[in-house]
Amino acid sequence: MMNSVFSNKTAITIFVLPTLLIFCAIVLVPIFVSSYYSLLDWNGVGKGAYIGFHNYVELFTDSRALNSMKNSLLFAAASIFIQLPLSLLLALILASNVKGEGFYRTVYFIPVLISTVVIAQLWSKIYNADYGLLNTLLENVGLSHLAQDWLGQKKTALIASFIPTLWQYIGYHMLLMYAGAKSISQDIFEAAKIDGASRVRTAFLITIPLMKPVLKVCLVFSVIGAFKVFDLIYVLTGGGPFFTTEVPSTLMYTTIFDTYRYGYGSAISVFIILECLVVTLIINKFIKTE
Amino acid sequence: MKALLKRTMGVILAVGLAGSLAACSSGSSSNGAQSNESGSIKLTLWDQSVGNTDPTAKLLPTIIDKWNSDHPDIQIERTGTTGEQYKTKIKTSIAAGEAPDVFYGMGGGSFMEPYIKSGNVLDISSYLTDDLKAKLGPGMAEAIENDGKIYTLPVYTHIANLYVNTELFDKAGAKLPTTYKELLDAVDKLKAAGITPALIGEKDRWPGMYWYDIIAMRQAGNEAVKEAFKDPSKWNSPDFVAAAAKMQELAKAGAFNSSMFSMSYDEMLGAFNAGNGAMMVQANWVNAGIEDPSSAAKGKVKVIPFPVFEDGKGTNTEIFGGAVDGFYISSTTKHPKEAAEFLKYLSEQLGTQGYLAGAGLPSWKTDGLDTSGLSSLDLSSAEIMKTATSFIAWWDNILPAESAETHKNLIAQLLAGDITPEEFCKQMAQLQPTELNL
Repeated sequence: MMNSVFSNKTAITIFVLPTLLIFCAIVLVPIFVSSYYSLLDWNGVGKGAYIGFHNYVELFTDSRALNSMKNSLLFAAASIFIQLPLSLLLALILASNVKGEGFYRTVYFIPVLISTVVIAQLWSKIYNADYGLLNTLLENVGLSHLAQDWLGQKKTALIASFIPTLWQYIGYHMLLMYAGAKSISQDIFEAAKIDGASRVRTAFLITIPLMKPVLKVCLVFSVIGAFKVFDLIYVLTGGGPFFTTEVPSTLMYTTIFDTYRYGYGSAISVFIILECLVVTLIINKFIKTE
Repeated sequence: MKALLKRTMGVILAVGLAGSLAACSSGSSSNGAQSNESGSIKLTLWDQSVGNTDPTAKLLPTIIDKWNSDHPDIQIERTGTTGEQYKTKIKTSIAAGEAPDVFYGMGGGSFMEPYIKSGNVLDISSYLTDDLKAKLGPGMAEAIENDGKIYTLPVYTHIANLYVNTELFDKAGAKLPTTYKELLDAVDKLKAAGITPALIGEKDRWPGMYWYDIIAMRQAGNEAVKEAFKDPSKWNSPDFVAAAAKMQELAKAGAFNSSMFSMSYDEMLGAFNAGNGAMMVQANWVNAGIEDPSSAAKGKVKVIPFPVFEDGKGTNTEIFGGAVDGFYISSTTKHPKEAAEFLKYLSEQLGTQGYLAGAGLPSWKTDGLDTSGLSSLDLSSAEIMKTATSFIAWWDNILPAESAETHKNLIAQLLAGDITPEEFCKQMAQLQPTELNL
């Protein structure tokens, strides 16, 4: 039955067509339209003037834009080297038949379900310089000299705005990895046990290698997520103070909606799309799963 | 069995189809009948008045309800969206050619200018009678004119001044400042008493701009500022350097909350209303919030003109503000005449009733209105406005959009001590000249 559906071209067309049309209308067409806008000097109303690749030249010479790109690369690095290892650790612990498996799974997944704006509001209260939880905590344990305006200073704002995002999606990656670990056949673990392998050895030599397909998916999601991050940064700092936490998406927003430069803003959006595409291709090329 | 199943499925499908067809047709026929019967026109209205303590947010629905019941043939559908989101929303919809019939616009500056220039806004001059113009407050008819055409009617006027919490001043033994020296004195005394002297929500960057702008107006005088808007090289002159130096001096003296760069405008108002800061430079749209029963500062706050400077050319009758905001009609509307009728009604009603409700200073003549219900903040704001010899509105509205962003960013750097007053003025001199007639 199933096979006959998959080999029936008409059936495939009927099932795929609506989604394909919607996808084209709300994803592909806007990408092409934005690519066209990115070649214009345009204020969003009236007629734009065609200026070729001038916006792209500006993008790669403007120090503010370059800084936003640097931030998004830093953020991607933080995702790969902090977020994913933590998720993996939690997933492995969770998959090794601990007590309260379901409970922990749910608890770690809760931040993923909460709206990012709520998460951002929550953390901006934690970081608040006047009454924030973090400063209060530091004062209570006798470290009041460390208390500061976390989101309002150049030296701390970037790290302070990364932490909530990294934290928010740990549960998401954990769940994916957990599912990957759980899908490995129990026979293999039993064989390893009989051979006398320790838990750590089993994890590194059996579980992790067999989870490679899932890990690759997590890697792609986490890097693309880092390149696209917007809402959390926008609510927490708005890209400030002094552009220290600016990422390409917040720069795009300011460019379009505060300075009316739709052309330049579109160039930034095209850059984000290309950045994501290139990274996905690189990851697919270098991490072979079959 | 199989045949029976097939037949049943067929019947179910047919019934389902008929049902959905019926649903469609009944829906469309009743809609059609409705609009044929009364011939009613629907106009959409977008505004940004949704705040809890915003008197306009309470007034708008009643004004619209009254209009709708008086004009069964012209029905208004209103959508309110909060401030910053509203700006994005209206910009996007105008750019997409899907603007509502009537919408709120931040008037007299760079916000509406691109849309007026590109013909997205309807010229309503021909719908205005002299009778109506006579009802406007002094100077208002000129203020809304744009190259001989009129696109909006004023609703409120807003002016910015210094808000002081007298209870905190008393506690610190400080005197309400009338000069720059007294301002510095007050800062010292307030600090010594453990009180944050002044609050700035610099995360949003424009609250800090209000401080610099009014300082610059006091230092150089309004005329010099207007000149500099037209010829930006004048920003790099001794008066503006002195203004930037004063701004930085205040910051270094600890006048502002140390958390200013992470505090938003809303948080700033919250902190001021909670009595966590003694001073704030804001426009009279904050009055209703301060006087709200939920505010701990209720009854303790005074609004005073910003101090004058011993070495300054500005006087305290030179006002920061006078911005006339109002409603605009989209040039794509199908019913320009009806929209103009509604715009006239809405602007006058909101302009007068809104003044009495404490939403803003009037742009319409207020003779014969009962002002006894106004708060002391509203009354003293109105008093200050009466003394005005000159107005300059929000600088980020006057400067072209990109220069406005640079201006705000430079002030943030000045506050943080990242640039010297001289560098600040050098960069200000690189701004674009204004496109407005000042």
